[in-house]
Amino acid sequence: MSAVRLLCSLVRPGQSRTLLSSWIAGDRPLRCASNTVADGEIYLAESCVRRLQEVTSGPEFLRLQVDSGGCSGFQYKFTLDTNMTEEDRAFGVDGAHVVVDLDSLQLVKGSTIEFCEELIRSSFQLTQNPQAEHGCSCGSSFSIKL
Amino acid sequence: MFPQTPSAVNKVKQLLEEKPDHLGLKVGVRTRGCNGLSYYLEYVKSKGVSDEEVVQDGVRVFIEKKAQLTLLGTEMDYVEDKLSSEFVFNNPNIKGTCGCGESFNI
Repeated sequence: MSAVRLLCSLVRPGQSRTLLSSWIAGDRPLRCASNTVADGEIYLAESCVRRLQEVTSGPEFLRLQVDSGGCSGFQYKFTLDTNMTEEDRAFGVDGAHVVVDLDSLQLVKGSTIEFCEELIRSSFQLTQNPQAEHGCSCGSSFSIKL
Repeated sequence: MFPQTPSAVNKVKQLLEEKPDHLGLKVGVRTRGCNGLSYYLEYVKSKGVSDEEVVQDGVRVFIEKKAQLTLLGTEMDYVEDKLSSEFVFNNPNIKGTCGCGESFNI
């Protein structure tokens, strides 16, 4: 269990219950096909797939980038995009695609993307990043293991 | 005290319509995050002894005692787009916020 997730479960009791119950109910992240498996993979939780199927249409996809910034050094950035380049890798299933550029992928490979819904906010979140040392409470910023 | 934008009022109204057995929403503050404090929302069935009650357009919001000081002059807004939706607290007393804007200090 990553630090982010642990922190998440410590400080968001309501949310962790839903997460926990969805784990138990078999809501395992779907294993997604990558163009080049060697570059690393990104897993999409069922909540993420469902949300993407709702909000994206046609060639639109969710782009995940890692920027420098935030209180822990790096932060995740989610945007909707339609242009893919050769430097990008796509993950996902029909109607729900996540695209990550190769540089960012190095810092997030093996992670799961979820759509977390809470009373105060709902947003896409990256969880269980094997490269992340510890993160910010909101989960958008992290530092890498050296 | 504690004005809410029309989009925030509408969202709270919608949330409460989904849970008709609850009286209102409660805004609280807890110690967490890299900047010290962070707000949370919860459904409540009754008014707590030290809660402050704010009614706007028929929508009832309670403010936890600890949060009252931090919310002085704060406006609650609700912003929504395809990627995320959240309640935002526009607080003139905030000295610093976290990168994601979730935690703050006063």
